[in-house]
Amino acid sequence: MKHILNKADEPTRRQFMQNAARAYLGVHLFPMLGSSIATAAAEGAAQGAKAKHVIYLFMSGGMSHIDTFDPKPKKKDVMGPTRTIPTKADGVELGSYLPKTAKVTDKMCIINSLNSTQGAHEQGSYIMHTSYSQRGTIQHPALGSWVVKLGGRLHPELPGFVAVNSSPENTGGGFFGAKFSAAPIGSPDQGLQDSRRSEEVSPEDFTRRLSLADKLNTQFHNRFPNADVKAYEELYREAIALMNSKDLKAFNLAEEDAGTRALYGGGNFAQGCLLARRLVENGVRFVEVQLGGWDTHYDNFTAVEGRCKEFDQAYAALLMDLDQRGKLQDTLVVVATEFGRTPEIKKEHNNGRDHHPSAFSCVLAGGGVQGGVKYGETDASGNKVKKDTVSVQDFNATIAYALGLPHDLVLMSPTKRPFKIADKGTPVTKIFG
Amino acid sequence: MKISVPLLLAVFVSSQISSWAQDPRQPAADADFLRKSALEIDKHIAVFYREKKLPVPDVTDDATFLRRAFLVAIGRIPTAEEALAFIEIEDAAKREELVSYLMGSQGYSSHLSNWAFDLLRLRDGRQGGEATNEPYRNWVRRAMDANMPWDEFVTSLVASSGNGWDPKTAAVGYYTIDRGMPLDNLSNTMRIFLGSRMECAQCHDDPFKETERKDFYHLAAFTNGQYQQNEEHMQDLWDEYREDRLERGEEYQVAQLFWDRIYGMSLSGGGRGQIELPSDYQYRDGDPGEILGAQTPFGKTVRMSDRKVEGGGRKEFANWIVARTGEQFPAVIANRMWQRIMGKGIYEPVDDFIESRQTVHPKLMSHIAKLMHDLDYDLRAFQHVLMLTKTFQFATNPNPSKLKGGDDFHGRKIARLSAEQIWDSLISLSSGDPDKKPDRTADNRIFVGGKPVLVGQMDMIQLSEDVLALESEKEVREFFDDFLATVQSGGGKKGAAEDSQTMGMAAIQSYGKDSPVRASELPSPAPREHFLYLFGASDREVVEGATKEPNVGQVLSMMNGYVQRQLVGNSAAHIYKSLESAGSEGEKIRRIYLAILNRPPTEQEMGWMKEEIKTRGEEGYGNIISSLVMSSEFLFLQ
Repeated sequence: MKHILNKADEPTRRQFMQNAARAYLGVHLFPMLGSSIATAAAEGAAQGAKAKHVIYLFMSGGMSHIDTFDPKPKKKDVMGPTRTIPTKADGVELGSYLPKTAKVTDKMCIINSLNSTQGAHEQGSYIMHTSYSQRGTIQHPALGSWVVKLGGRLHPELPGFVAVNSSPENTGGGFFGAKFSAAPIGSPDQGLQDSRRSEEVSPEDFTRRLSLADKLNTQFHNRFPNADVKAYEELYREAIALMNSKDLKAFNLAEEDAGTRALYGGGNFAQGCLLARRLVENGVRFVEVQLGGWDTHYDNFTAVEGRCKEFDQAYAALLMDLDQRGKLQDTLVVVATEFGRTPEIKKEHNNGRDHHPSAFSCVLAGGGVQGGVKYGETDASGNKVKKDTVSVQDFNATIAYALGLPHDLVLMSPTKRPFKIADKGTPVTKIFG
Repeated sequence: MKISVPLLLAVFVSSQISSWAQDPRQPAADADFLRKSALEIDKHIAVFYREKKLPVPDVTDDATFLRRAFLVAIGRIPTAEEALAFIEIEDAAKREELVSYLMGSQGYSSHLSNWAFDLLRLRDGRQGGEATNEPYRNWVRRAMDANMPWDEFVTSLVASSGNGWDPKTAAVGYYTIDRGMPLDNLSNTMRIFLGSRMECAQCHDDPFKETERKDFYHLAAFTNGQYQQNEEHMQDLWDEYREDRLERGEEYQVAQLFWDRIYGMSLSGGGRGQIELPSDYQYRDGDPGEILGAQTPFGKTVRMSDRKVEGGGRKEFANWIVARTGEQFPAVIANRMWQRIMGKGIYEPVDDFIESRQTVHPKLMSHIAKLMHDLDYDLRAFQHVLMLTKTFQFATNPNPSKLKGGDDFHGRKIARLSAEQIWDSLISLSSGDPDKKPDRTADNRIFVGGKPVLVGQMDMIQLSEDVLALESEKEVREFFDDFLATVQSGGGKKGAAEDSQTMGMAAIQSYGKDSPVRASELPSPAPREHFLYLFGASDREVVEGATKEPNVGQVLSMMNGYVQRQLVGNSAAHIYKSLESAGSEGEKIRRIYLAILNRPPTEQEMGWMKEEIKTRGEEGYGNIISSLVMSSEFLFLQ
């Protein structure tokens, strides 16, 4: 597991950062967090893990499982106008809005038996991202933060965790602190905004500014030794290392040829998927890309069709592209959502579907997961899980397992409470080839 | 430019008189009452310190007070001129006068509107269809501006009914933004106004609390039955047009305008007072499909019949929230306001109510709940009182609260500014006092296929009124055909300008996402690549979704992005203009400090900065400005 845990990379990174900080900030370095976590992680790591990266596609709003990955062709009243289509995997059918995905189903493991305890968006997204219920008194780290914390970074300068078009409340480092928060990308086309020095500012002035700011900050921090204040000081160091990285071009979609860009399709989600591929190729560990608009209480079928148009081409392109580049074997591609939607169709809401946490679907592909299979089962109308229930925590434990990270390793929060990457979840090991 | 100190003092004082001296009978308008109320709060705090045998924190210095007061009350830092005026005045009452100046300022309601928009998840647009939240946004913004009492505000939202475009009834947006998900809307109502968390009970009995799923449905009966006014008269026409929308082009767009933007934004049915248990109801105390009458879960019980539809449920419900939940309604808003002003709530999270007697400071908590009630829910007066306290002036404590939730009262906690506070401060530095710019106004123009039509002849308020008054399908079809013909012929003959005057239409004021205006006036939510979003502004999908979590994108933006483009590298920026009249380099450095950190530089800092100018000449000022904005002192509230 040494390649994942990066023992060699931590000191390298620290050395680099110290040099960068010395060069730009002149003086004054706080000791960086050591590699003790990553070292501890080695003991409990799962064997046989193949994934090094995660691309986590989050369908925000609650994706209808029935109209996408868990259709019920025999139940007309449940399906409404949605039809089913055959796929490249024997015995696996999909909702008719996913024709391109149907051609890559041989690479996918569809989990139909997800079950969540949370039926509202905020709480549902929170538990999917953190494995814990939302509390007023603590902010739990997001899955991506856990992965970087437990597994370390793969690249010394690029962020370990990047979030494209995602909500900051679900991609934060929580009690691990800001250095484990995602680097946010608002628009994939623009890449990581402001990551280059303005042309108007000479390198000398840039350095002078930082060195002045550093003097002021030292003063302020001595007066107010506060964790949040310190977090910003550390981020400046991170940012400078990043700005000087020769791999900053990982964020630049313009380096992709027109054919590849067209393969993914237009729009922020599609281009976000392409960016995610570039980022994992360059050693980013965890990339989340969000696609919103799945809250289809009202006019479900028109809305789902529209969402699927955004999703279908990009997702299929991502799997094919990763596969062709030999990167699908060590990249786990996750399709997740906070809950499903009711089998019942609400006529009074123009054929809408409401929230449905008791049964929904998520998809895994790559990273050692078997393709062309389904796991778990719902009843005849997609209402309840019938077989092999997978809790939100089990699902996240499975992601940890794919990465070879110890899902049962306990880390203490600053308030001295114990937490694990997937709480009490146990991984679904059967789906690994 | 020489700054006239006495003149600015006069500004502070006169604004105080004009704001509060109008109606001496109202406690909110009585300066003595406010002062006395502040003193009473301080007494409670003093008792707390005595009982716990704690040293009372020092009172903070003028500069820190100034910056804190501005950011807390109006959401931006003071301009250099405002800062200088305050710091140089020798007057025992100047803190009090400053608070009055701020509470009477334009910026007050802008700052509070950000809070209200976050609470109400107020986005400009809606997903799917053509409906807009524009009139609703404007209603909320104007209510904040007019300092509408909180109980009246809540009642107007919860009991709303009518035309979504009419400024008198635009509060219906409270329900229509959640069309199709009335139960989520109800959970949010309970959470934001009463601090009652009922999301769990929407689907199952709450294992941690007493609330059962059946209680939730009893409550949901009040607001059940949210219809669109008279929509049945247009249903058939809409179905026909939607069926062959591709062929119909403009005809379809006009139909869509009627259906989505007029009927879709209206609300009728005052709340049935009855509801059916859902098809997946799982407990023994009821059957799926069984009809429940409305009933409140706590407070003074309000019931409605399960036998006949009484109607008026939303009014009953609103009245129960504001008047029949005992301490809960005033305590929740009092604690929210305490959090806004003091930095931490007496209990937190503020949307999870606990009774006064269970808080760390029962007497103080019940005292401020009563004060909120006595001030007739005047949020401005309440915040004014808090800002007059000594407690508000306590020195900064860098350590987090020792209590798990809520304030430990060991001095003010250091906290990062909100995204809106940072933005509003930066635009003050780049473009001067933002509160002199006009507010955004509601856009009531009629849009067909994305283009405004009949401008100056008719607006959405009139059109919607006419359409919603139609009483049969026949009338709707006739009106529709006439209107379509008018649009296709380009409208009447009269000149637009003349008409807009006769109809009293004001010019529309709107701002693009990059305009240097208050965050409250920008499109909502900020786009994902926007400075505000980067710094954690809420996307307004969930209640109070803003965060102050740092990320690497924020510091990149401070170094290379917005700050460089709009401020440091922008020679027309207000801050450079304010340096023009300064004689010496020392004076320029001093003004930069006053403008950005709102304090004069220390001797040591002056040394550093003079050295910078010596080495870099004029370029050095940009470097100083950049470094001060990048400093933690700028980003944090002390």
